[in-house]
Amino acid sequence: MKKTALALLFFLGLFSVSLAQTDTSKSSFVTPPRPVTDLTAFDSNNDHGHSITLNWTPSADDGAGAKSVISYRIMRATSAGGPFEEVGLAPAGSITFKNSSSIDPASTGFIPDHTDYYYRVDATTMDTTVISSSDIAGPVQSSGQWFNKGLYPVFWAVIIFTILTVLFVFVAKKGRDLYVRPLAGIEAVDDAIGRATEMGRPILYVMGLGTASDIATIASFTILSRVAKRVAEYQTDLIVPCYDPIVMAVAQEVVKSSYMDANRPNDYNEDDVFFITQAQFAYVGAVNGIMLRELPATNIYMGKFFAESLMMAETGVVSGSIQIAGTDEIAQIPFFVVACDYTLIGEELFAASAYLGREPLLLGSLKAQDIAKAAILVLALIGIILINFGVGQDIQWMNGFRELFKVTD
Amino acid sequence: MVVQYFVPHEQSEHAKEFLLDWIIVIGIFALALGIWSLISVSMDKINKRRTNWEYSAVTLIGLVTMTFFGFTAHGDGSWWTYFIALIVLLAALWFYVQGLLSSGGKPMTNILIGAGLSAVFALITIFDNSWTFHFYTPEGLSNMMFINFFNYIMVPLQATMFALLAFFIASASYRAFRARNVLASLLLIAALIVMLRFTPGPWGDLLAKTSTWVMNVPNLAAQRAIIIGIGLGIVATALKVILGIERGYMGKG
Amino acid sequence: MELFGIWIAALLTLGIYSFLYKDNPVYKATEAIFVGVSAGYWAVVYYFDNIYKKFWEGAVTSDNPDYWMYGGAVLGLLFLTRLFPKIGWISRWPLAFIVGATAGLYMVIYFVTNAMNQTASTIMDIVARNAAGEILWMDTLGTLVILVGVVTGLVYFFFSKEHKGVFGTAAKVGTWFLMITFGASFGYTVMSRMSLFIGRMDFLMSDWLHIIK
Repeated sequence: MKKTALALLFFLGLFSVSLAQTDTSKSSFVTPPRPVTDLTAFDSNNDHGHSITLNWTPSADDGAGAKSVISYRIMRATSAGGPFEEVGLAPAGSITFKNSSSIDPASTGFIPDHTDYYYRVDATTMDTTVISSSDIAGPVQSSGQWFNKGLYPVFWAVIIFTILTVLFVFVAKKGRDLYVRPLAGIEAVDDAIGRATEMGRPILYVMGLGTASDIATIASFTILSRVAKRVAEYQTDLIVPCYDPIVMAVAQEVVKSSYMDANRPNDYNEDDVFFITQAQFAYVGAVNGIMLRELPATNIYMGKFFAESLMMAETGVVSGSIQIAGTDEIAQIPFFVVACDYTLIGEELFAASAYLGREPLLLGSLKAQDIAKAAILVLALIGIILINFGVGQDIQWMNGFRELFKVTD
Repeated sequence: MVVQYFVPHEQSEHAKEFLLDWIIVIGIFALALGIWSLISVSMDKINKRRTNWEYSAVTLIGLVTMTFFGFTAHGDGSWWTYFIALIVLLAALWFYVQGLLSSGGKPMTNILIGAGLSAVFALITIFDNSWTFHFYTPEGLSNMMFINFFNYIMVPLQATMFALLAFFIASASYRAFRARNVLASLLLIAALIVMLRFTPGPWGDLLAKTSTWVMNVPNLAAQRAIIIGIGLGIVATALKVILGIERGYMGKG
Repeated sequence: MELFGIWIAALLTLGIYSFLYKDNPVYKATEAIFVGVSAGYWAVVYYFDNIYKKFWEGAVTSDNPDYWMYGGAVLGLLFLTRLFPKIGWISRWPLAFIVGATAGLYMVIYFVTNAMNQTASTIMDIVARNAAGEILWMDTLGTLVILVGVVTGLVYFFFSKEHKGVFGTAAKVGTWFLMITFGASFGYTVMSRMSLFIGRMDFLMSDWLHIIK
């Protein structure tokens, strides 16, 4: 009797212990977290469509409370009743998500514009079956915007610059004399052409490796037109070897009309402006050959140049030519400065056509450039003063002033 | 295009892409004109027996040969007929262009001879199965001769020309570094510091640090000033083109 | 074949180097070969990359033809009118289109990258501090120098005012900064150009003559 009672007691004890343990394992059951609230869905701003942005207040159990939320699953459906499919995942702590796709209808996950969508955000936990869903937001449609509001500062800057240019051109047209300081490289062009005429040797004009789409090449065309006009007046020979066929075509037009302007249309020879090849070093090899064989008195390099700049300039020194160069390629300017007699640095290349023509219209736009530079200087100095001497550096609008200039796409 | 920058809408991006594509398509036609310019200038030199006319002939031979290789593919079989076809083609083109250019002399004879040679070329093309023309598929780009010409002529020549810069930079340095004034001295000192930045030895560390400072401080400052100036210059020139103030690039009229 | 190719490459290499002595028939021949072969190469590659891929595949033979491309082809054909003097003036239209379209495109892009972003970078704290809040004097000096450099550099590029007086002094300081930049860029590239030359020597000595293994 005693033994049976002891055995029963022992058994009951074991049973209770195991029951207690089972209870512990059952109490590792994850409670559903509190759901996301204030879910809003709207068409993403300033884009080309096919994108919807979601904002929400995170679950109260995300980082606080039960701290059981590990991520947010973004669910989307085409009707309020579902079925919902997962379209994305946001990590814990997120308050926003952008559901976007490419504009290609054949891409995966393509979101067509002007289609109703409904969204729901599910807070997920370690236990994949335990989630909490938010209220459904929608219907919402995506569409493209016609104006990128994020680029407002750029827009206004461009408008102001355009107005300034037009203003100064107007002033110039009225006949007011606009002063520009002398540029050594430009003043040398006339002398150089005269020298070539005296020596009976041609002038070599190299427009570089740019295409007709490069603004530096366009600036070079304007300079070429003025050089060609003087060349026509002095009846000197002009050689213009071209790297790009479109540039060749435009250069032919430019030189032809310059000769017509100088009343010497018959002196124009279309073979003066010719195409060589579109390989960088083959082009420069041929130009070097021309320099050594034709022995031009003056070499003018205006446009976009790359590694070949030094090769041409040095060969020009060997052949005894006066060299005037201008480029906006910062890496090549040092080589031209070292090897050429005169160099137009960066912006001076773009100003050159105004200098050579002295037309009021062009001088006017040069003034606008100067005003813009002054404005940039002043604004930068103001910005620096504000940043450095401002009372406390966390004042939003002071940093905002700097941010005005930072433009990211 | 200015408008396009501010308009992120899909249609405007499409517009930008097709406008840029148009420029490329026009470029193809321009290339045809460019090659024609090269051919006519070279032929002119050859016909008038100007100095160095022989080299213009070499240029043209190189041009036609490479183009021939690029548009044909050779399968199995003898290479002889392939090269004979190339020579016949070169001869035919020679006579054709002689006939077309007025300075060629006896134009009809030249064109007739050219036509005869073209017929021979056509016969070879039809009856020789070892090689074929490919204009609609880029098989010519894998033609062994095309690749060989690229690897053994173009690549070494490009590399060598580039390497010539070593000599040019040495001669330029020699001339530039005769410091005659303050500015030239500044250029010289800055160049020396940066040039010697990797020198090992006791001075090496100091040079490296100074060089880094020079690159990051004064160099950066002046570059920024130049870049701002260039940016404004570009915008101003572009604006002048758009507003029609600057017409020099089109010739007047 | 490869041996033959290497010999050709080596001879052409030496032909180019003969230029350093003076202009000679070998260099002239090498240059002529280079121009001809490269013109032919780029013509073929350009044809296949653009006419074939873009136009033929994109506009003519594809399932989803891009009809807009035909517009480009029309402009291109107009361009070819240059060959005929009487109607050559028509070719100005495609040229004007190219220049205008890209002028517009680049105008704003360059304004943003060159002018606005650079200005943003210039507006910065002069006094540099480390994490503990102590003033870093070298960095502060550096920032001040950058500021002076940018301002004087911009002053140098002013076209409207003569470089006299205070303005002239500022412009002069600007030219000093410019010279330092040019010297630094120059020095920076010297060594890389030298290594190119070493590369060619390596080809001649080891691949061709097998003097160096």
